[in-house]
Parts: sequence; structure tokens; C-alpha cells
Amino acid sequence: MSAPPAEHPAALSARSLSKRYGETLALSHVDLTLEARKVVGLVGENGAGKSTLLNILSGITSPDSGTLEIQGARQSLAGYGAAQRLGVGRVFQEQALIGTIPVFENLLLGAEARFTRLGQFMRRRDMIRLAQEMVDEAGAKIDVRRMTQSLSFSERQVVEIIRACIGPKSLHGVETPIIVLDEPTASLEKGDERLFFDLIDKVRQSSAVLFVSHRLTEILGICDEIVVLKDGRRVASVMPAEADERDLHRLMVGRERDADYYHEEEQRDGDLGRPGFAARGLTRADVYDDVSFELRAGEILGIGGLLDSGKSELGKGLAGIERPERGEIHLGDGRWTAPEISKAIPEGLGYVPAERLAEGMIAGQPVAWNISSASGADLFSTRWGLWRHRHEATVSAQFIDRLKIKARSSQTPAARLSGGNQQKVVLARWLARDLRVLVLDNPTRGVDAGAKEEIYALLRALTAKDVAIVLITDDLLELIGLANRIAIMRQGKLSRIIDARADAKPTEQELVAMMLGAGEGDQTPKRAA
Amino acid sequence: MTDEGVHMALSGADRSTGKAAFNGIWLPIAVVIALIVFFSIASDAFFSLRNMTGILGQASTLLLACLGASFVVLMGSIDLSVGAIVLLVGAVTVTALNAFGMGVDALAVSLVAGALLGLVNGALYAWGRIPSFVVTLGTLSVFTGAAWELLQGRALRFSSPAFEELAIGQLLPHVPNIALFAIGVWVLASLAGQMTRFGRYMYIIGGGEAVARNVGIPLTRYKIYAFVISGLLAGLAGALAVARLGAAGPTLGQELLLNSLAAIVVGGTSLSGGIGGVHRTLIGVAIIALLDNGLNLMGVNQYTQMVIKGAVVVAAVLISQDRRGSIVIK
Repeated sequence: MSAPPAEHPAALSARSLSKRYGETLALSHVDLTLEARKVVGLVGENGAGKSTLLNILSGITSPDSGTLEIQGARQSLAGYGAAQRLGVGRVFQEQALIGTIPVFENLLLGAEARFTRLGQFMRRRDMIRLAQEMVDEAGAKIDVRRMTQSLSFSERQVVEIIRACIGPKSLHGVETPIIVLDEPTASLEKGDERLFFDLIDKVRQSSAVLFVSHRLTEILGICDEIVVLKDGRRVASVMPAEADERDLHRLMVGRERDADYYHEEEQRDGDLGRPGFAARGLTRADVYDDVSFELRAGEILGIGGLLDSGKSELGKGLAGIERPERGEIHLGDGRWTAPEISKAIPEGLGYVPAERLAEGMIAGQPVAWNISSASGADLFSTRWGLWRHRHEATVSAQFIDRLKIKARSSQTPAARLSGGNQQKVVLARWLARDLRVLVLDNPTRGVDAGAKEEIYALLRALTAKDVAIVLITDDLLELIGLANRIAIMRQGKLSRIIDARADAKPTEQELVAMMLGAGEGDQTPKRAA
Repeated sequence: MTDEGVHMALSGADRSTGKAAFNGIWLPIAVVIALIVFFSIASDAFFSLRNMTGILGQASTLLLACLGASFVVLMGSIDLSVGAIVLLVGAVTVTALNAFGMGVDALAVSLVAGALLGLVNGALYAWGRIPSFVVTLGTLSVFTGAAWELLQGRALRFSSPAFEELAIGQLLPHVPNIALFAIGVWVLASLAGQMTRFGRYMYIIGGGEAVARNVGIPLTRYKIYAFVISGLLAGLAGALAVARLGAAGPTLGQELLLNSLAAIVVGGTSLSGGIGGVHRTLIGVAIIALLDNGLNLMGVNQYTQMVIKGAVVVAAVLISQDRRGSIVIK
């Protein structure tokens, strides 16, 4: 692999990129250089800033500060279309193909102008020919005239990869394309995986490639350089020859955990008694499969896993919001039922969703309304269906006081509150009830450090009152610090449940290794040197 | 939602401060007063007892017809079939009056018929999971066709003075009974909107259906309730409109498709749901009725009236959106 001549500018050069979302700094002064004929790997745990960086490189997000040069010329990208014209091709984590049009139209999406006659009429035959050439060049066996939705999931992923890898050159005539691959292999079947690595070997002859994957063996196998992101910062850059998976894990995680912050001394390990919550055989096709567990009253079961592990969906299944196809739960009383939220809430279940603004609360409505909304059927209305406004105001005022929610009054719209205070409102909704089981999905996302600790204290207080808590989270420290036991979810299955007693907490490295499935034997071909 | 999405929604929601949403009632009231002042100056006949009684009669049908639909709009859905229900129930009521020699008891027929038609809408929407716009666009046509079938294209008359008295009698001097009905129902609907669980759930479903689902509100049931109430009140409006006119004709309820939605929106209930309130529809109705009547008295022709009314509706939504950016939440 020869380095490009020194006077030749890098294909892409990013300097000191920063991006802030509200209270979180998603990216902080990150540098990145991509050169022709080189594959750079990008690794980091969930929330490390990978997606933000990729979005900036492909023009979807603009950085707050920092510069971006493509082929030596400074650019401020006005959108993905602009990035594409400069030669950036990207495979997205979520598939971005249109199912109801033929494959060739998807491959040539955005380049239709080249195939029109008299402005509007498409030269269909030319389009098919060029698209088929792209597919053949990649060595895939797909008829581009087929309807996209009739392809298998893996084949569709192949189409996406071809579009990103070969499109810039054959459609936009870019000499040195910049190919950005965001977990391209996550949904590939074995045969197509082979094809993918062959394709990478082919395109790397002329392109600069940025490759994001959670499969570290893959990264180590095909990359020339590996960049590690942590908490929005570039913390390391290593050569694959000088590192192994364990080194990468260590670089990706590894912060100090403060036991006080998570109130670990309040964790109940020895005195847990009766069963508090249990699930058996929960299954939803292609999302999660045969999930069973049991926890005791006063226990916190943490569930961790990669973003696509299905843990959020499992949370919705446990609460009965998106009902599983099979499986049952019981709320500590041994009565097994299919989960259904409107039946489970009166029985003592609560659910805090990850998307606070879309699913957790109604921003335009008052704090009091948001607190009372789950209790409209019992606490806040009379037998005749009259709303108990005064009771609502009293209870809301109590919680504003008790949880130190910074709101002028209980009639203040929730939108005026900060993220942490909003989340306290969502929790107050459940604290107002006689809770037995609480399912939380990323309860401290977008919450500042102070409010986080207050939320942790509230959760500990709930366990003291024998509430069983299922905590689904991407925050590893939170997972380790709060949970009595940690369940690792991988590709829709609870792959293992490990102990996390207050005096014997696992480390982040151990957890990350388990989430990635280390030791389960990923078969990744070593690159043909 | 991505982080950016959350961020955008947050800043959007920030603008839509609840204060404006809940207290921003003064602008529509100012418009009502301005209209009254303007028309009083522009037309001698406007500010007379006789004309006021007339406006009351006209406005009452509209108010009755769109109070129920206000719940539907508050919940973030839409009911386009209100006018068609008024027409069909009117036709059914006259048919019942004539066929069975009924009197005031025909009102029960109207109410049941209206509620059933609303149930059809609600069931198709909630159980069939079809957008309410599509459902009620379809039933708008079905109900209208059925009514014309029943009327055979003619105006059906009836002779029951007792039934007519329901609308045109004057228990209070100069106030037609239909206005008493309308005001009575408005009070009940407003109380239901502000003081009951049903009302609160309408706000929550309209504010965010995903949130409503996550807090265990039985969505299907409450969606059906809203449409049944919309049908029931449109049925009542149909019966009383027929009583007021002494007949059911093919054009009954025709202007309600535009007028009902116009009144709800001008009153300040957002079509995106969760903002506004059923009580506010009274003001919207007043604005629409005053416009209709005043422009008539001024001798403005029908076509120009349509242009003005349409412009007022769009302007009202423009202004109210500017005031609170309400769409962003949904």
C-alpha cells in the first residue's frame, strides 16, 4: 500500500470538527484524514459521536465549528446531494432504498438528469445498462430490472453498498470517491459478506474508504488505520498490526465510575425477596426472540446491547406498547398475561420511553397534565368521569417540590423546562402511582449531570419500596452503576445475564466485549495482502 | 428520532408556549366585536331585534352541528361528514314524522340515527385504522347519496306543529328554542371538554398519540366516543334544522362542510390537535354567522361572500399559527 505523493492533497480532510446538541457535546475538535487507496476504520461505543461525524462528512449535518476539505478544496456541504456530487457515497445504517421502484432506479437515484430526453423522458434502456454494469463490476448477481422490494434484505444491502462504492465513479465521474460505510455488514448473509470484502478490495484501488463497524475483527482485518472515538473526542489512532480487540475495547471505554454518583451503597443485593417481575418466551419476529427473565422486588435488571440489538423494542414489548407475538409477563403475582399497557398500568406497571419529546410527554401541555396523564382512569377522575382538577394541581405541586422540578407552576407548559426537569416530570407521572414494576428506556438521555444523579436517587428510592426495575440503557456506566444484574442483548436474544453486585461490578471493557459477542467466533476473512 | 430531531422539536415546542394556546382567546373575541361594530355601521337593518333573532336561528344549527366535530378535531382527526349527517338525519326524521305520524318523539329517532352514523365513522377509523380524512370523505358521499335516495331529489314537508315548535317556538321572547338547545349543548360540551376525563383524553390524544398510548389511554374506545358524539350532535342539528325549516330538502347541510370546519378552526382549535377547545367553537360560529348575515344585508353577492369567507378562514389559521407555531409538536 503506497502512500500518495506528498504534494497530492488528501481525498478528505476534516479539522477540529465540533457539534453540540443542547446540553450534549456530540463531537469535540475531531480531526480526520482520508486518503486514496486507504481504508480507515472508525470505532466507538454507542453515543461516542460516530453518527454525528458521518453526518457531517456526508453533508447531512453542518458542524458548529471546524473545517472540511475535499480533494484539497474547502467545502461547506449543503446536504447529502452536494456531498454526492463531490464524490461522497454512503451506506446508511438504516436502509435507504425505495422498495416500489426497480433496482436500477435506486442505483441511479439522484442522477436521473443524465438520462433524460427533452427534459422529462427517461432513457430507460441506457439506465438499465449502466446500472447492470455497476452490479456486474461489483461481482453481484442481481437483475437490476427487479422490483427492489422483491430482493432479500441482504441483497438490498448489497445494492446499497454498490450504490455507495461504485456510484460516485460511474455516475458522477469522480476520480477518487470517498466511501463512507456505516455498519454495512450488520445485515449481510455470509455469501454476500464475502462479496462485500471483495468489493472493498476492488474499490480501495482508487477510493478513500471510511468504515464503521461494531465487528472489531472485521475492522482489524481490512483497515489500514483505526480511529477511536470516545465521548465525542478522538482518543486514539492505531495501526491494526499493533493492536488487538482487547486494546480497542480499552480505548473505546474506560472512564472512572463514581460509586456515590450511582448510590451504589443503596443497592439491595442480599435482602431481595419475592419475585417482582418476570417475562417468558417474549418473541417478536426479526426484533427479539424468546426472551425470558425474572427479577425480584427491589431489584434493578439492566439491559445493555448495541443499538440494533432490539433492546428498545423489547422494552416496548415488556410494557405492552408494541405487543409481542408470543410470550407473557407477570407483575410479581404469578398471574401470567400477554403484555398490554392499558391493562398493566392499573396493575402497577410504568414505562418511560427513550424518545421523551415524541413519546414521553406532550411539550405544549402543562406540567400538571403530563404528570396526571397515566392516572386519568383512577387517581384524577371521579367515578362519574369528572376530572379532579384540584387534586391534580395539589399532587403536581407536591412533585414539583419533592423532585425539585424547576417550573414556575404546575400550569407551565412542559416545553419551557430543561431536559432534566422534563424527565423528572415523566418520572413523577409514575411516582404518583402505586408502582410495582418500572421499565425505563434510556431515562437519562439528554439530561445534565446534576439531574442524572437526582434521577438515580429516585430509582434507588423506588427499589427501597420493593419496585422491580428494568433499566434499558446505552450508558454503560449507568448500566454498571445501577443494576443488580446485567442482561446482555445481542441480535434480539438475551445472550447472557451477569451479576453486578455492589461489591463486584463488571467493567465497561467486559460488557463491551460481551455486547460485541467477542469469543463467539465471528468469521471475518483476513484481507488478502 | 435522531438527536437533531429532538433538538428541532424542542426548539419548536419552545415557541409554542402553552400560555398563548390557552389564553389566546382575545383575538377571536375582538374580531366578533369588530364585526358587530362594522356591520352596525354599514347596514341599518343589522342591529335590530328582528335580525338578531334571525342570526341566532342560523348560528344555532351551525353551532350544534360542529360542537361534536370540535372534539374530533381536538383529538387530531377530522370529520368531513357532519353536513352529510345533518342531511341524512333530517331526511330520516321527516320520513319518520310522515310515516308514523310521530311528533316530538321523532327527536329520539334523529339522535339514534346520528349516533349510529357517527359510530360507523368511528369504527372505520379506529378499528379499520383508516385515516379519518379518508373515512369521512367516503361517508360524506355515502350519507349524502343515501339521503338523496330517500328524498328522491325533492324537499319533503311534514306537518307536526309540535315538532316545529322545538326549533321556532320562543320560550324566551325573541329567542328561538333552537338557540336554547344550542347554548345548552354548548355548555354541556364545554364542561365535557374542560371538566371530564373524556375531555382531557381528547387533548392528550391530539397532543401526541404515541404519548397517549404509552400512558395506557384506551385509544380505540375514546376515538370512537368522539365520532359518536360528533354524529349524535350533528343528528340533533339535523332534526332541529328540519323543525326550523318545516321540511328536509336536498340542499340541507350543504354549506356545513365548509362552515363547520371554518368555525372550529377560526375558533382556535388547531387541526393538528391538542390545542384549543370545544368551548372556543362558539366564537368561531359567531364569526361565521355574523359574516354570512352581515354580508347578505350589505347586498354582497353569494360568490363574493364565498371568497371573503374562505379568505377569513385561511387568514385565521395563518395568524394563529404565527402566534403559537402549534404544528411543530405533532
